[in-house]
Amino acid sequence: MSSSSKAPVAGPVVSDRARSRLPLTSSRPSPRTDARRTVAGIDLLRLALWLVCAAVVLVPLGAIVVLAFSANHLPLLLSGDILQAGTNSLVSAVASAAIAVAAGTALALLLDRTDLRGRRVLRLFALTPLLVPPFVGAIAWIGIAGPTGPINKAWTDWFGGPLWIIYGGDGVIALLAIHSYPIAYMIVSAALRRIPTDLEQAARISGASAVRAVRTITLPLLKPAMLSAFILIAVGNLADFGIPSIIGLPERYVTLSTLIYRYIQSGTVESPLEVIATIGVVLLVVAALAMVVDLLVSRSRWELDDSASAVQLLPLGVARLPLTVGTWLVVLAITLLPLLALLSQALLPAPGVPLTWANLTLDNIVRATSAPSTLVGATNSVLLSVLAGVICGVLGLAIGTVVTRTRARSNTALKTVAMLPQAIPGLVIAVGWLVIAPRIGLFNTPWLILCAYVMAFIAIVVQSVSAPLSATPMTAEEAARISGASRLRALFDISWRMAVPAAIAGSVLVVLTAVRELTISVLLLAPGAQTLGVNIFSLQQAGAYNAASALSLIITLVGLAGLGLAARRDR
Amino acid sequence: MSSVTLTDVGLVYPNGTVGLEGINLAIADGEFVALVGPSGSGKTTLLRAIAGFLAPSSGSISLDDTVVADSRRSVEPEKRGLGMVFQQHAVWPHWSVERNIAYPLVLAKVPRAERAARVAEVMALVGLAGFGKRNPATLSGGQRQRVALARAIVGRPRVLLLDEALSALDEPLRDSLRLELQSLTRSIGLTVVHVTHDRAEALALADRIVVLDGGRIQQVGSPVELVTRPVTAAVARFLSDATLFTGRRDASGFVADGHPCAVPTEWIETGGVGGHGTGTLAVLPEDVALRPGTGAATDAVVTSSLYGRASNDVIVQWQGVAVRSRVPGRRYLVGERVVVEIGRAMFYEAEANEGALPVASVPVTAR
Repeated sequence: MSSSSKAPVAGPVVSDRARSRLPLTSSRPSPRTDARRTVAGIDLLRLALWLVCAAVVLVPLGAIVVLAFSANHLPLLLSGDILQAGTNSLVSAVASAAIAVAAGTALALLLDRTDLRGRRVLRLFALTPLLVPPFVGAIAWIGIAGPTGPINKAWTDWFGGPLWIIYGGDGVIALLAIHSYPIAYMIVSAALRRIPTDLEQAARISGASAVRAVRTITLPLLKPAMLSAFILIAVGNLADFGIPSIIGLPERYVTLSTLIYRYIQSGTVESPLEVIATIGVVLLVVAALAMVVDLLVSRSRWELDDSASAVQLLPLGVARLPLTVGTWLVVLAITLLPLLALLSQALLPAPGVPLTWANLTLDNIVRATSAPSTLVGATNSVLLSVLAGVICGVLGLAIGTVVTRTRARSNTALKTVAMLPQAIPGLVIAVGWLVIAPRIGLFNTPWLILCAYVMAFIAIVVQSVSAPLSATPMTAEEAARISGASRLRALFDISWRMAVPAAIAGSVLVVLTAVRELTISVLLLAPGAQTLGVNIFSLQQAGAYNAASALSLIITLVGLAGLGLAARRDR
Repeated sequence: MSSVTLTDVGLVYPNGTVGLEGINLAIADGEFVALVGPSGSGKTTLLRAIAGFLAPSSGSISLDDTVVADSRRSVEPEKRGLGMVFQQHAVWPHWSVERNIAYPLVLAKVPRAERAARVAEVMALVGLAGFGKRNPATLSGGQRQRVALARAIVGRPRVLLLDEALSALDEPLRDSLRLELQSLTRSIGLTVVHVTHDRAEALALADRIVVLDGGRIQQVGSPVELVTRPVTAAVARFLSDATLFTGRRDASGFVADGHPCAVPTEWIETGGVGGHGTGTLAVLPEDVALRPGTGAATDAVVTSSLYGRASNDVIVQWQGVAVRSRVPGRRYLVGERVVVEIGRAMFYEAEANEGALPVASVPVTAR
């Protein structure tokens, strides 16, 4: 089959003669012509996917690169503002990633390998920051540790000065870490589950104490996963917009993303797009380097056998109670406290008003939800994210099945292109579309945001489709082929059917992520095209903290409920 | 080298499942004991209780004269001075072969020079000389299992525990490693507890075999005892694939219920306690002879016939009972009609047959 697909034959007669010399394929003319037609079918499908991927992923990136090299703005990059912002971005990304990986690893060991009390519930709590958009987290934490927050107020009353004001670089790092440790936890915990318990038990039998077995065997084996999580988180945090703009700017802590936002909003530099494109290329190079490092690390990963025995939980003994109490307190402080802060801010008329029954009001919530801008934002967000979810779902399903269930040399390249945006900061994606917007006639329209969403989130569906599919043996399709299905038919009937639930789950995740997106939406903001995230951000910037909190609370609760439902359907 | 004594050991898992019940077993210094039983019988549970990964909920476990576990306290596995080989070898992938093997000595704070000498010595013993610097990923399955074995014995353990240690290997390799394992453990006089689901392996290697089922010991004995004098019909079925008939025995012999099988009393050995009354007759495959069929209605039909080196494994359908026989000589063909002759059998009275082993015999009905 594969030989006939590579060598196009002039006509059926010629190929019949050529084939009839082979003894095995002598007397089955009709299935053979059938096969040739579907070979073309699957090639057409692959070509179409390549074209879409190129348009959605490669063109914007190419545009950035071309624009960046159209003029030399490198001296400007090394000038005070940009250099300072770049340093801030780098420091905050690296520091927050290091903290997140340390916390995530500790949590993975505690929750997955010890007999800590209430592990299962604690795991759910610990993962919630993942479901809260970072800018909402920032708004919530201002309610806790902002200058007028209850902690600093109480501290000032007792000791004459605030304890710690969240604004500034340290606050940005702390918040970035809080919002990314769940990712580290998930990656490390998945790696931990692949390490057979036998390895630890062999160390115990050899004379190592439980702690020593973890230190000498488990932790070294987790190193690749930890490094991989570190790279992913650092690249992601490099260009986050919400947290640095809400937490960093009040203290003039400028990062690349907030600087670019300023350039776009108020042309403070000449030819801002070219400068931004240059910054984008630098970020691209950093992301590419990170990807290469990650690839090298994953190549040197050890081959681990399946575990023969069930996971043996490590008894904590005397340390069980203090560790349980400590972990619960920290996790609840990180996860529940911000939600409570949002709730109290949403119910109070203005910041700094004492929290008493008499002061509580539903005005903020009513005003925030009934304001025309909110309605527009909600409509836009829902429309754009659902469309993005559907498009990503269909595209991701097609790409995911084609690259995992067919054999072609270009498969790896296609998957790499589709997964590429995951490693690229959302900021760069937005800049790319901003650059090509005038050429494709989408300037100042919401559809530009849709394109950027599709580019940014298609990797989610490709990933969720190809992960379970690559674990399924190819015999599933081969059985269909033997039963008489063509390649395309087998791909439709078997591979797609198997992957549809995963694609739907991925699409739901895309919708839920996109509906609360800020970085891309704020940079591609067009008249009448503001999204919910931008709404909240504008309210916050305009000083309407309580209205912003009210809207944040609603969006968070709706998001949590949606993800909860999606997770339940998965099971 | 040490002895292991288990006294009334019981183990209940947190979810209420009974893992072990009333285990009494004394393993002598230098003895090679195999634990066999169907899956879920408790053999791995017993091994892990000896290792210290599971704590018994009642009874006690002693190494030599020291109690290492009872219902109140349990000595941590690392303080028991044992060696263990796991089914999936559990060689640490991030260390070289040498470092893997040296680890128990490092933990025991053996001086560097002595450590190197002992590692080299044990590597030569398991046939890995020269492999010290290799990355475990570059080794074959058999070589990795040798690394695991070397690591388990380098610290001169009191007892060597083998958890399905050879099961993950290919058949020819398993065979050769089996031979090496025996000569190795004998030459250094190790006490060995070996868990396996391979009955032939247990019979081949062990001084004594412990048959477990439902968390209880069904029988303990030498391989010869277990094969020739199983204490219950269920043990006979599990260990030797015996065919079971239910029926009555009186002074003249055994007559199956609703089945032509009848055996005169001289050919019946009394297994267990019973002698007469209703019960189960167990017939080992070796004691079944086949003759060409007479065409009578009571003839049996060959349903499968597997070739073997010494004798062929033939299963015949005899009036609704699948009878297993091991017959030398001509290989019967599937579908051939034969006459079944029973040369020797063991009878177990109904009470004696209450072992928990599943007696999955085909109900004796005249079809």
